[in-house]
Amino acid sequence: MRRSRFPIVVTALVLGFLYLPILILVANSFNPARFSSRWEGFSLVWYARLFESPEIWQAVRTTLIIAVSATAVSVVLGTTAAYALHRFGASRLQRVHYTLIYQPLVVPEILMGISLLMAFVAAGVRLGLLTIFLAHVTFCVSYVAMTVLGRLQDFDFSVIEAARDLGATPWQSTRRVLLPMLMPGIVAGALLAFTLSVDDFVITFFVAGPGSTTLPLRIYSMIKYGAPPMINALSTLLLTVTLTAVLLSQRLARRSQ
Amino acid sequence: MSNEFLEFRGVSKRFGPIQAVDGVSLGIKKGEFFSLLGPSGCGKTTMLRLAAGFEAPDDGRVFLDSRDITGLPPDKRKVNTIFQSYALFPHLTVRDNIGFGLTIARRPRADIRAEVDRMLELIRMTDQAGKKPDQLSGGQKQRVAVARALVNKPDVLLLDEPLAALDLKLRQKMLVELDLIHDEVGITFLYVTHDQAEAMSLSDRIAVMSGGRIEQIGAPAEIYESPRTSFVAAFIGDTNFLEGRVGECLDRDYCRLDIAGLPGILCFNDKVLQPGQPIYLSIRPEKVHISHDRPEENAHRNVLAGAVEDVIYLGANTKYWVRAGGYRIQVLRQHDRYFLDEKPLRWKDPCWVWWHADDGFMLDHFRKADEGLLAVPPQSVGEPINGK
Amino acid sequence: MKRRTEWLTSLPTLVWLSLFVVIPTLLVFAIAFRPATPYGGVGSGWTLETVRSLATPSYLAIAWRTLWMSLLTTALCLVLALPAGYTIARAAARWRNRLLMLVIIPFWTSFLVRVFAWKSLLHPEGPVKRALEALGLVGPGATLLYHPATVVLVMVYTFLPFTILPIYAAAEKFDFRLVEAARDLGARPFQSFRKVFLPGIRRGVVTAVLVVFIPALGSYIIPDLVGGPSGEMLGNKIAQRVFSDRNLPHASALSAVLVLAVLAPLIGVLALQKKGRKSDIVIGEAP
Repeated sequence: MRRSRFPIVVTALVLGFLYLPILILVANSFNPARFSSRWEGFSLVWYARLFESPEIWQAVRTTLIIAVSATAVSVVLGTTAAYALHRFGASRLQRVHYTLIYQPLVVPEILMGISLLMAFVAAGVRLGLLTIFLAHVTFCVSYVAMTVLGRLQDFDFSVIEAARDLGATPWQSTRRVLLPMLMPGIVAGALLAFTLSVDDFVITFFVAGPGSTTLPLRIYSMIKYGAPPMINALSTLLLTVTLTAVLLSQRLARRSQ
Repeated sequence: MSNEFLEFRGVSKRFGPIQAVDGVSLGIKKGEFFSLLGPSGCGKTTMLRLAAGFEAPDDGRVFLDSRDITGLPPDKRKVNTIFQSYALFPHLTVRDNIGFGLTIARRPRADIRAEVDRMLELIRMTDQAGKKPDQLSGGQKQRVAVARALVNKPDVLLLDEPLAALDLKLRQKMLVELDLIHDEVGITFLYVTHDQAEAMSLSDRIAVMSGGRIEQIGAPAEIYESPRTSFVAAFIGDTNFLEGRVGECLDRDYCRLDIAGLPGILCFNDKVLQPGQPIYLSIRPEKVHISHDRPEENAHRNVLAGAVEDVIYLGANTKYWVRAGGYRIQVLRQHDRYFLDEKPLRWKDPCWVWWHADDGFMLDHFRKADEGLLAVPPQSVGEPINGK
Repeated sequence: MKRRTEWLTSLPTLVWLSLFVVIPTLLVFAIAFRPATPYGGVGSGWTLETVRSLATPSYLAIAWRTLWMSLLTTALCLVLALPAGYTIARAAARWRNRLLMLVIIPFWTSFLVRVFAWKSLLHPEGPVKRALEALGLVGPGATLLYHPATVVLVMVYTFLPFTILPIYAAAEKFDFRLVEAARDLGARPFQSFRKVFLPGIRRGVVTAVLVVFIPALGSYIIPDLVGGPSGEMLGNKIAQRVFSDRNLPHASALSAVLVLAVLAPLIGVLALQKKGRKSDIVIGEAP
């Protein structure tokens, strides 16, 4: 049967469209010219400037502190929530639970940002690392929960019964069977949460205080108030880091099979 | 009741509007291979889960070795289950799977190693000890599941349709293996299945279940040759049903029956029958004979004239459905001689069917709906098979 | 025992989300009805002034612009994502994973940076403008930035991967033999696509629409960086009220409008669900 070529052509165009800006960005990070319109030869000057910039390092530190702590907390909360949603799914409590968890996924970030800002202001909480942390956990929990829930739905619970049948207490069967089996899903959720936290701008923008600048906030001010091409270098670096991390986790996932 | 090792006393279990098990009492002897046989939804799996401790009965008690285990959780019962999906732990090797129960029981490492090695030898998988479940075939997974349960030396082994996921050839092989394991290990087996061939070939006794109740308990031969209810008669193998009243009793052994549309039918009187009593007679197809010519006279033969309505040739035997006096009689004829009959019986041929009065059996309990369980070819395109 | 476990495992997230999602949202609605203090705080007492001031033509213009730009973005994303999702789902397993990775990788780069990339691409001295000038399509004084069209372009760029994924997920579960059956019965390629494939991945399409339309409505950064005054959307109006004008009640009122605008399609999908069909959301199955 002759299949139409049209979808393949569109797909190729779409992929080209998706990568064009990224490729130009990477190329420009090696372009020492101030304005990207002229190519002035290959140079690493922007990378050097990047490493010398204390604000960038500070922002990286802040971002990582928040990302690691938010991921840790949201993984624990999200996994527990996913378990509850799957195990007790039909009850009214879980239906409410599910609606609540679903909210951060569908609400535009600006709404989350402003509502959290209002809440912190009303409660008199000073804006800073703590508020950013609380905000990040809030949206990360939902993503972790959904990821783990997806894994649970393919989960054959008769292995838990088998563990109980062989003498394991409820806690032992959770520790020795449920959690190890769920680990790939939990790790996937954790990676997702980490990425979302590192990359978040809008919500962080609303709830950050004067001394707590994350990397996205730093990038935004660099874009808004004069745009040195350091940003290209920074983005290329970020892209390389995330790419390597993803490829590594894929390699690990394949090895464990 | 003292030699009942595993005992259910009046257990009931309901799930929402469905009464899965309805006041069932059952006693299983020590060392016995006991099967619960019935269609899906009959309550057999629920009974198993009640024994394992995954469900608690709404009513009634469960006893193991004279101790009341009704309130005990599964990890506290000396009972182990083989699940239909095997439920092997995917993140553990074969060795660790088998040793799981012993590890939980905190047995010394050397002991665990020795026991697991013994089991690996029993199931002939010593070379595969380091593999993970996803690297095993269906039959291998099943053997690991069995080993994982047996290594704990449970009082009772519960098996939940363990062969259902296997193809035919493998199933036959595993049937033999299960039988051997039971003989070697000597543990009480409680086996749940909907497959009568499995139940009949493996069990010492069978309980046939339907709608949450037990229809009949007995050894396989007893269940097959002397079913007490129409359900048991129709669910196990095939049969013919005739309905009528007792006419007169000729002597102590035989009675004549009045069945509409048929000449006087004789049956063996193994229950004390009264004239005028309603009666349900059942004859298995393999006990019925068929031929072109009228058979020789014999005082205890029931002979009917009819016409062949359907023929299904199966190689080793042939099934006929014969219309005789308003009834469809199923006949199973074994081909024990090559072309013994020079003129094969074909569709619409007139013929004679007969059976010995001793071969028919009377049912205690008859339900018209059970006729739907019989294998009957449809009369026309679009007609549902089995009247469903 | 079961009930206690249920409460134990559900309570942490229930409490957390009530504290940080439910209460703040209610607060936003409440503050919309309070007056503003001159120093950027919230006054006491209740007033309908703020809400009434939303009815001005300038606000309505922004609301309308936000709506049609989001709809246009959604439509364009769908038009591009459908062939892409279809192609990936039909590809051989080896290619499929690679293609999916290619779609997802941009997602792993900083979102801000990608918008910035477009900003410099479309810069008056950037490559695109110079290429178009060389082709004679635009004059030397034209600006490609700070246009509603720019915003739509960058929004499509941003949301395209999110649209491709649910369409792919639904297409992967689709039995393509149905398309073969349609072709066998005489349908041309596009006909079978329209009459058999599209209805078959209906759930994926609904998810894809939601995943673009709702965030697009609330877009802030994209209009902020490449939209300029003529490309302003509700999102940056809200941010402007919070940070530049320091008028929290106004910002809350606008946010409340946005909440309602976002709820409308969600309730629509829920209403379709209640009509007896199974869940249309592919992100996570409802329990």
